[in-house]
Amino acid sequence: MFSSSFLVSRRRGEGRSPLLLAAALVMALPGFLVTACSSQPGTGTAPNEAAAAAVGSVAAAGKAPATERRTSSAQALRLLSQAAQAAILMSYQGQEVVTRWSDGSGSVLVSDIWHVSGGQTVTQTLAAGNSLSSQPYLSSDDDSQAPEGVLGVTAPLIRLLETHYTVVYAGAGSAGNRAAQVVEARREDGSLAARFWLDDTTKLPLEREVFDSASHVISQDMFIQVRFSSQAQAAPVGGPSDPPGPWADPLSHAQLLALPTQGWLVPSGLPGGLLLFTGARTTTSTGTVLDLGYSDGLSVVSVFEQRGHLATKLDGWQRTTVDGHVIYVAEPDQRSLTWSSRGMVYTVMADAPVQTVDAVVGVLPHDTPPGFWKRMSRGFVRLASWVNPFG
Amino acid sequence: MSHLGDRLSALVDGELNGAERDRAHAHLASCEQCRTEAAELRALKQKLSTLMTGAPAEAAMTKRLIALTGPGGPMPARRGLLRVARGSRRAATRASRRPGARGLRGPRSARRRRYLMLGTVSLVVGLGTAAFSAGGAGEAAPGPRITPPVEMYSVEHAITTGQVPFAPPQTSPAASSSAASSSAASLP
Repeated sequence: MFSSSFLVSRRRGEGRSPLLLAAALVMALPGFLVTACSSQPGTGTAPNEAAAAAVGSVAAAGKAPATERRTSSAQALRLLSQAAQAAILMSYQGQEVVTRWSDGSGSVLVSDIWHVSGGQTVTQTLAAGNSLSSQPYLSSDDDSQAPEGVLGVTAPLIRLLETHYTVVYAGAGSAGNRAAQVVEARREDGSLAARFWLDDTTKLPLEREVFDSASHVISQDMFIQVRFSSQAQAAPVGGPSDPPGPWADPLSHAQLLALPTQGWLVPSGLPGGLLLFTGARTTTSTGTVLDLGYSDGLSVVSVFEQRGHLATKLDGWQRTTVDGHVIYVAEPDQRSLTWSSRGMVYTVMADAPVQTVDAVVGVLPHDTPPGFWKRMSRGFVRLASWVNPFG
Repeated sequence: MSHLGDRLSALVDGELNGAERDRAHAHLASCEQCRTEAAELRALKQKLSTLMTGAPAEAAMTKRLIALTGPGGPMPARRGLLRVARGSRRAATRASRRPGARGLRGPRSARRRRYLMLGTVSLVVGLGTAAFSAGGAGEAAPGPRITPPVEMYSVEHAITTGQVPFAPPQTSPAASSSAASSSAASLP
């Protein structure tokens, strides 16, 4: 990390005048001394940033580490914001390789992606033996409201990332044979939570790694064989003329606030520091479905709600228990969980550590087995309703 | 020869003293008419004595009670049945107070009570079982039966995460199409 930081510094210093650099170094000498004595671990000190910090008074030089951290965070956030913008505004195509690790085993998926500047994205993933995503998946961001992005780098998620983690610039690197800028997200205890590689030229995300609290990699996403603008070809299947998906535009803040009054369960947050940041609604043949998106900037959990009860027979789902609650897990991805409670069917899809998913399932409503007398009472009421000729 | 007359009934009742009884017996020995009348008087007296005892009355009462409780006949009207039941209960009570009449209630009544108790218990157990079964299928809230549309949810989740929909891991080799190459596989 530190060597990368200096690599970046040297590259950025190449365009500066030697005389100006010498003057800056002389003026920054007290600041360097203070910085060296403070010995802040894990903070890469870039000469150009130190020089900028040393331009001020000697007293100000004592606050250099904090200033540098702020500068590093600002630079990292600026890079991530540019990456989110690039994912929307540029035209590109490539392959996204998504890898997930859980319980010692991993799964990898490769998808082709075509994106037209400011328009739509076509993604095609052919999963053998399963229809899931075998057809081109089309998303649109015409109104710039949908959280469109590559490798999870979107404007709403960056805002949440900034809230929950310390985002720092980690220097230069490479990904997919392309020069890249590296940005890291760290937890409060300083442990590494995620690392992003952003294309040095376009800032488009090229790679992302996410770590759990034990520093194990739980996901690695790569965008490879990337071609930009004039190189990009039209999507051969399911072109941009395809109709958009069934989901309407994201709900506004006022609409989200109004949902509880309409009988929907809308927690403002979920375990693991996940905050509600988006919502959408659609209508199916069995009724309205609400989607609530929760995230801390890295982990994302979608909670789907629909009024009704689970079907008696669920093909492709396996019955299991989480925290004592009976739920059904989609086979074989194990990422989708569903159950019904009090006349509502809940389906959770998660890109999050297993512990977080279990905690989320635990706080959402579940039916508890009724006591003997309650069950008897309910049974007598039902029997009476069955023989009631007016019922 | 004069006959015994009023003295004949006194002789039958044993009310004559020794000399009169001897003269009456001497007359009976020589007079067939008076002997015949004396025999009739004794027979009548014996019948009257038999009517005064209780055994035949008990037998008749028992027959009436059995006739009331036994099957075969048409059921009396409800009011009449109550009257009869009350009457038979009174009769049974009276009979039970008599010595030697303890077995009048009989095994039939006990059997009826057992049947009644068995029927009541069966009804309670049956209703309880039915209620327990009916009450265990969750709240009868309205709403359709739903199988979550995973594919549709997956696309929406991908939009939320800013990533491609993550299809389930596959153990088979990567599939390919003429339009675009794509694959999914499990890692060891």
